[in-house]
Amino acid sequence: MGANRCAVVGVGQTNHTSVRADVSIAGLVREAVDRALEAAGMTLADIDAIVIGKAPDMLEGVMMPELWLTDALAASGKPVFRVHTAGSVGGSTAIVAAQHVMSGVHKRVLTVAFEKQSDGNAMWALSVPTPFGVPVHAGAGGYFSPIIRSYMRRSGAPAHIGAMVAVKDRTNACKNPYAHLHEPDWTLEKALETPMLWDPVRFIETCPSSDGAAALVMVSEDVADTMNVPKAWVHSTAMRSEPTMFAGRNQVSPRAGELCAEDLYRKAGITNPLEEIDVCEVYVPFSWFEPMWLENLGFAPRDHGWRFVEDGVTEMTGKLPFNPSGGVLSTNPIGASGMIRFGEAAMQVMGLAGEHQIDGARKAMGHAYGGGSQFFAMWIVGADKN
Amino acid sequence: MAGDKLQVTFEADGSLSAPLTLFYPYNRTLGTTVARFLSSLADKRIEGTKAQDGRVFVPPAEFDPSTGTPLTEWVQVGDEGTVVQWSWQPAPFEDNTLDQPFAWALILLDGADVPMLHAVQAKAAATMSIGMRVKAVWAEDRTPEISAIRCFEPVGG
Repeated sequence: MGANRCAVVGVGQTNHTSVRADVSIAGLVREAVDRALEAAGMTLADIDAIVIGKAPDMLEGVMMPELWLTDALAASGKPVFRVHTAGSVGGSTAIVAAQHVMSGVHKRVLTVAFEKQSDGNAMWALSVPTPFGVPVHAGAGGYFSPIIRSYMRRSGAPAHIGAMVAVKDRTNACKNPYAHLHEPDWTLEKALETPMLWDPVRFIETCPSSDGAAALVMVSEDVADTMNVPKAWVHSTAMRSEPTMFAGRNQVSPRAGELCAEDLYRKAGITNPLEEIDVCEVYVPFSWFEPMWLENLGFAPRDHGWRFVEDGVTEMTGKLPFNPSGGVLSTNPIGASGMIRFGEAAMQVMGLAGEHQIDGARKAMGHAYGGGSQFFAMWIVGADKN
Repeated sequence: MAGDKLQVTFEADGSLSAPLTLFYPYNRTLGTTVARFLSSLADKRIEGTKAQDGRVFVPPAEFDPSTGTPLTEWVQVGDEGTVVQWSWQPAPFEDNTLDQPFAWALILLDGADVPMLHAVQAKAAATMSIGMRVKAVWAEDRTPEISAIRCFEPVGG
């Protein structure tokens, strides 16, 4: 490919929660950045360039926050690059940062993504009624629930699969000190009794609204080789997009996602993802997206994703653990959520995931999607250089 | 907005337009640094943070603009200062704090190293000058916001 190698040498995130009234956006961002730098044994002075990402400015109502975050990121006199691809932005931001290194332009890059959801209302900020159209007043859940219903009809999935995923993720989150929700007592029976929000999505099957940030430090191979810290080597990255709506679009398994995964595996030299990848951190904001993405990403045959869930394949003890961190279902600072997936994947191959570590993880996938399932960002990281 | 009739403009070339008024409620969270500065104003004290190179920033910088280090050392500065630049506002807007003509001024408070923007209630533009001394006029009803200082006025009237 001609690209230079890139390694993640520091992962940091905030303790995610509903309201971080104690910090400004700058303070929130710095909390994650300081933890990533500390893990890497570096300081802000060591950094050559900064790549920052967040979801639409409408969410907090702060225009171009990357400009006033310059002080907090010690970015004066350095390049600052803002990435924006809706909910997938945390992933695409990490990829742009990796490309800064892989291109040979910079050797030490800091990337950070955040959302302070309590400063706004993400559900409705992006559902503003506009002239010439009919306001649906649906929000994200209302947008995705018909797609989920379509998947259930097509695949024949039984109604309890979504609740199974939710119980798994909420249980996993109890092993992750940074997760927003720590709710140890869920059972499938209790989950199926939670209120129906957007049929077929129940209360437990939807993500929380979180304040949080995540940061990664990435360096070139020559720099990484001098550092005595755990490393996650970036084996491949891929991004794909498609329009929200066009006639004949497969909203259940968007073509952009399939193409993105194919490209990702090809560049990483992976021919059988189910056998070769040890653990996945996949963007699942509504629990039913786990079986849907299992198929979209080529892990399960068409209409069989839900069977993987039912058979426990994606449990921490299963063949392909999905979201041992608890995932987006347990923590959702929107702009940061993708970077948390990418960072958690890195932590797994670095052996730093603590109680939610998958033993022997050598190769991991980080995944993010955004918009109306139209932006995809993915990476494969490994404990080995190749 | 629901139920309002759409105000369509029909353009000569066949295109259509309609107004869209965006309104959306948000919160603002200041963090403890800016919050301390504003809370102090409500107590008639002006405080700033000291940067690593010794400069005192008023309003406070949360992070050192040069190094990014969190700034935690506080310094109380004077409520008098020197005008370093100014611009006359001959016709105040409705939402300006002052209803008489005034100056927007960059004021270097005694003990601070960077100037702060505020309003100076002077009699006329002709009475304003760079280097003139001004003093804070505290609002009677103070909430933790910058308008706790109602304005500055020339020292000695």
